[in-house]
Amino acid sequence: MTELLVNGGRHEVHGSVLTTLAEVLRGHLGLTGTKVACGEGHCGACTVLLDGAPALACITLLEAVGEREVTTIEGLRDHPLVDAFVRADAVQCGFCTPGQIVSAAALVRETPAPTREQVRHAMAGNLCRCGTYPKIEEAISTWQG
Amino acid sequence: MSARTLSRPASLEALDETAVPLAGGTDLVPLVRDGLVEAETLVDVRSLLPRGVEPGGIGIGAGTTLADLERSGEVPDALREACRLAASPQLRAMGTIGGNLLQATRCWYWRLAFPCYLHGGDRCHAREGEHREHAIFAVEPCASAHPSDPAAALLALGAVVETTRRRLPLAELYRLPTEDDRRLTTLAGGELILRLRLEEPDASVYLKAMDRQRWSFPLVGVAAARYGEETRLALAGVAPIPWALGSPADLDAATPLPGTAYKVDIARALVGRALAAVR
Ligand SMILES: Cc1cc2nc3c(=O)[nH]c(=O)nc-3n(C[C@H](O)[C@H](O)[C@H](O)COP(=O)(O)OP(=O)(O)OC[C@H]3O[C@@H](n4cnc5c(N)ncnc54)[C@H](O)[C@@H]3O)c2cc1C
Ligand code: SF4
Ligand code: FES
Ligand code: FES
Repeated sequence: MTELLVNGGRHEVHGSVLTTLAEVLRGHLGLTGTKVACGEGHCGACTVLLDGAPALACITLLEAVGEREVTTIEGLRDHPLVDAFVRADAVQCGFCTPGQIVSAAALVRETPAPTREQVRHAMAGNLCRCGTYPKIEEAISTWQG
Repeated sequence: MSARTLSRPASLEALDETAVPLAGGTDLVPLVRDGLVEAETLVDVRSLLPRGVEPGGIGIGAGTTLADLERSGEVPDALREACRLAASPQLRAMGTIGGNLLQATRCWYWRLAFPCYLHGGDRCHAREGEHREHAIFAVEPCASAHPSDPAAALLALGAVVETTRRRLPLAELYRLPTEDDRRLTTLAGGELILRLRLEEPDASVYLKAMDRQRWSFPLVGVAAARYGEETRLALAGVAPIPWALGSPADLDAATPLPGTAYKVDIARALVGRALAAVR
């Protein structure tokens, strides 16, 4: 039994030694907003926040999370970035979008008005197979309305 | 998948020889899950490793993340830049400098579990196969290219590694594989890296050629650090281990594979630019 702090709530979850955080979020807690595409750290679809820092849930072991607070896309439901992505039409198939928004949330918390270079640096780990990058940049640079 | 237990010991000094340390897990977790690394006992050392940069004579805790170093005003330019250009934001926030120095090769044959020389077999599949990202130095018997950007920077900066058992120059952390020992490092089972120490250079730089502008392993990385009249050069992505270059002319002695000859030209250009930058 492992205790996990997710989006402000405490959960008791089971897993084996090699169970990943992504498997627990999706399979046990029903938080399917976190996507798994590559499963090995390349694409960013599984990005969550651990104590506010972006992390890849597909290569984070459940047992290694410890006391750190997990924030998933479900925990960012009311973040203005969500509307900004809709306004900028920054979604095509939408599979990468949760991870994009989580990474963007970490960026704007530290740097509310990032330059284009800062956006590109902070978002480099989130690949978009549909090529929505210009719209994603637009969403992040207009998120404050 | 292979790993039976994950433990969190109270002290780092008394690790069992068979213990496999887990820091950020960015390299190790996929390898264990894919069965490429056997780990009966994983030991979570992340919260026990020293973390941060000690001011005055530079000491860096092995648990310091690449993201910490990318933002630190106290480390030399070459190291900061090597960290900034490595991997992705998520991986830099998770991955530690200690784990980065010990990351396994990205050779796709090795990662796909081909029974190649480095896995204990008798031939190098990359040599006759796909090898455009491979080595230009020490290409026999394994032509893999060391993927760490920070390792090249730290080699140029003359880093000394402090482990739970000894102090050694970074260059001695690495070895080329031999018939009876296929490992690429000299770290013993259960031995942990605790800290890195380096001297502040007068000037230093790290330049990196990639397949795309960001978020890519180095095709060639070049670090240069100048101490007074002496400038030290070290390269990433050119040999199975981080590669110190005595002088630019040593590039004439490269022995590239057909598919990696282009890397010699890139290395020559980057070495020229790096030397100009620290002059
Ligand atoms: C997709 C991807 C892209 C990447 N791109 C780059 C890149 O462009 N440039 C680059 O330089 N790196 C790159 N990396 C590598 C990345 O930076 C490393 O995986 C990371 O720094 C490793 O640190 P960690 O703490 O996660 O190590 P872990 O995965 O926890 O451990 C790695 C290895 O080191 C051992 N270990 C860890 N800490 C210690 C210690 N203190 N003492 C003894 N042994 C220890 C572990 O047992 C394991 O064998 C990339 C990685 C991935 C997955
Ligand atoms: S380059 Fe090294 S790791 Fe890759 S196939 Fe050859 S022996 Fe194996
Ligand atoms: S699913 Fe985690 S990085 Fe691709
Ligand atoms: S919108 Fe389809 S992958 Fe990004």
